[in-house]
Amino acid sequence: MKPLSLITGNTRGFSIPSLIIGIVLLGALFCFPSFVQSPYALHMMILLFLSTIMGESWNIIGGYTGQYSVGHAAYYGAGAYGTLVLLQKWEIPPWYGMWAGMAVAVLLSLIIGSICFRLRGPYFVLASIAVAEIVRITVLNTPAVTNGAEGILLSDLPPFKIGGTVITDFVSKVPFYYISLLLAIFTIVVTWLLQNSKLGYYVQAIREDQDAAHSLGISLSLYKSIALAISAALTSLAGSFYAIYIKFIDPSTVLSLDLSVQIVLIAIIGGIGTIYGPLIGALVLVPLSEALRSNVIAQGLINCGVVREDSGVGIFLKEHLAHAHVLIYGILVVIVILFMPDGVLGFVKKKSRDWGLGTGKGLDR
Amino acid sequence: MAILEIKHVSKFFGGLAANADVSFTMTQGMIMGLIGPNGAGKTTLFNCITGYYPPSKGEVLFKGKLMNGLEPDMVCKLGMARTWQKVRPLAKMSVQDNVMVGALCRTGSLKKARELAMEQIMVVKLEHKADFPAGRLTIGERKKLEVARVLATRPELLLLDEVMGGLNPSESEEIIQLILDIKKQGITQMVIEHDMKAIMRISDRIVVLNSGEKLTEGSPQEVVNNPEVVKAYLGDFHA
Repeated sequence: MKPLSLITGNTRGFSIPSLIIGIVLLGALFCFPSFVQSPYALHMMILLFLSTIMGESWNIIGGYTGQYSVGHAAYYGAGAYGTLVLLQKWEIPPWYGMWAGMAVAVLLSLIIGSICFRLRGPYFVLASIAVAEIVRITVLNTPAVTNGAEGILLSDLPPFKIGGTVITDFVSKVPFYYISLLLAIFTIVVTWLLQNSKLGYYVQAIREDQDAAHSLGISLSLYKSIALAISAALTSLAGSFYAIYIKFIDPSTVLSLDLSVQIVLIAIIGGIGTIYGPLIGALVLVPLSEALRSNVIAQGLINCGVVREDSGVGIFLKEHLAHAHVLIYGILVVIVILFMPDGVLGFVKKKSRDWGLGTGKGLDR
Repeated sequence: MAILEIKHVSKFFGGLAANADVSFTMTQGMIMGLIGPNGAGKTTLFNCITGYYPPSKGEVLFKGKLMNGLEPDMVCKLGMARTWQKVRPLAKMSVQDNVMVGALCRTGSLKKARELAMEQIMVVKLEHKADFPAGRLTIGERKKLEVARVLATRPELLLLDEVMGGLNPSESEEIIQLILDIKKQGITQMVIEHDMKAIMRISDRIVVLNSGEKLTEGSPQEVVNNPEVVKAYLGDFHA
C-alpha cells in the first residue's frame, strides 16, 4: 500500500489503511475541543476549516472546470450580506438567512456566468474580477440596505435549534468549531461526488479542451454554469459562516479583490483539480500567515540562538518582521508557485514517485 | 436515402469566401472522400456542417433536419460527430476517461460509460494504454484515441479530418482498416485526407474542393482522370 494514497486522492474505492487513517483523523478532529480549550487554538482550527471550504469551493470551478474565477468574493459577500442583512432588517435567524444568501449567490453566479463564460482564458479572469468589483461598489453605494462602508455589526445571535438541543452559547468557539468542521467535510464530500459523476467528467473535459468537449456533445454554457453555481453556493456558505462567527462584515473584508485572490491561492498552492489540494493549501497558508503576523518567527530565531536579541538584526526582526508579513507572505507564495507549479500536493506526488514511494497515480485524477 | 444534404453552402470571412456555393449529398453507409489542395476549404466545410461556424449562406440537412445554427454539442447528440485535424486529447485524463467522456453522450451511468469506452478502445487496439494519460501518447495513438472517443458518442455520420496525417505507412494502414471496419458497422463517413492512395481505396465517392468551390464530384476513377483536378493539384503545366 502506498503511504501517500490517502492525501493523493485514491478515487476508485478506498483502501483499508487509508480508510483507517481517515477515520482516526476525523475522530481526532471531532474530539479536539474536548482536549484543547484554548480559544486561540480553536480559532486557528476554525480559520483552517474556513479556508478549506473556500479553497474546495473555488476548486470546483477553477481546478476541475478550468475557469479561473478571480471574483469569488462576490459569492462570499452574497452569503455574508444575505445572512446579516436579513437578520438585521427583518430579524430572520441566520440559520435561514444563509439559505437566502446562497440563493443570491447562485443567482449572481448564473448572471455572471451568462456574461463571462462567452470569454476564454485571461479574458474570463478579467471579466470575473470586473463583475466582483461591480458587486462590491454596488454594496458600498446602497447604504439603505447594506450600511455601505460602515458595514454591519451583529450584537447577539438568536438560539440555534438542532433537533432537541438548543445552542445558545455563542461566546464559546466550540459550536463554531463543529459547524466549520462539518462544512469543510461537506465541501470535500461534494468534491468527491463531483469527481465521480458525469458532471465531473464533463467539466474536466471542458478544462482540458473546450472545443473537443463541445464536439463530444457537452454543452459548454450549461456545464460551466452548473459548476459555477455549485462553487458559488459553497462559497456563500463560507461567507455566511464568517459573518456569524466574526459578527462584523464590511465591503472591504468580505467583497474585496484581496479576498478573491486569497481564495484562488489556497487552491493553487495546495494543488488544483484534486480533492485534497485545497485542504493542503489551507494547511500551508493559514499557519504561515499567522506565524508571520505574530512574532513567532522572530522570537523563534532568537530563542534558538540564531540571532541575538540585543543585536541589530534581532531588534530589527522583533520590531519590524510582523509589519512586513504581507510582503514576506507574498514572496513565499511566489517561491512556492515557482518551484511547485502543480501545488504542494503535485510536488509531494512527484517526489514520492522520484523516491519510489509509489506511482502517485491517484493524483492524475 | 440521403443522410446528409449540403445545399449551396457558403462561408465568408470578411471578403474571403472559404466555401462558395458547395452542394453535395451523402447516402446512408457510404464513405465520401473530401480532397483538395491546402486552403481549399475542407476543414471550414467540416466546421460549417458540425456547428462550429454558422454557414453564411445555404443549408445543411442531416436526416432531413436543418442543422444551421445548432451548437456542436446538439449536432453530436443528433448523431453527427467529428474528429480534429490537430488532435485534441484531454491531456491530463487517461485514455479510458477520454473515451468515457464520449460515451457519456449516450448514458448517464459511469459504469455503463466505462464499459462502452472499453469496447471502443478495443476496436482501435489501445487497450494496453487504457490507463495512460492521453497527453503521453504518440501521435499515432492520439489519432486512434480521437477515433475511439468519437465512436463512443455512437454517431450515424462520422466526419474524419485527416486521421492519417503525420502517420507512418503501417499506422496509416491500421487506420484504413479501421475506417473500413467502421463502414461495416453501417456508419456513414466523410473523410478528409491528403494521402491519395488511401482516399482512392476507401472512398465510394469523392468531392474535390478548390479555392472554396466544388470542382467536381464522382467515383475515385472519374476524379483522378479529371484534367481539372490534376490542374488544381499540379498547376497548368502538367495538364
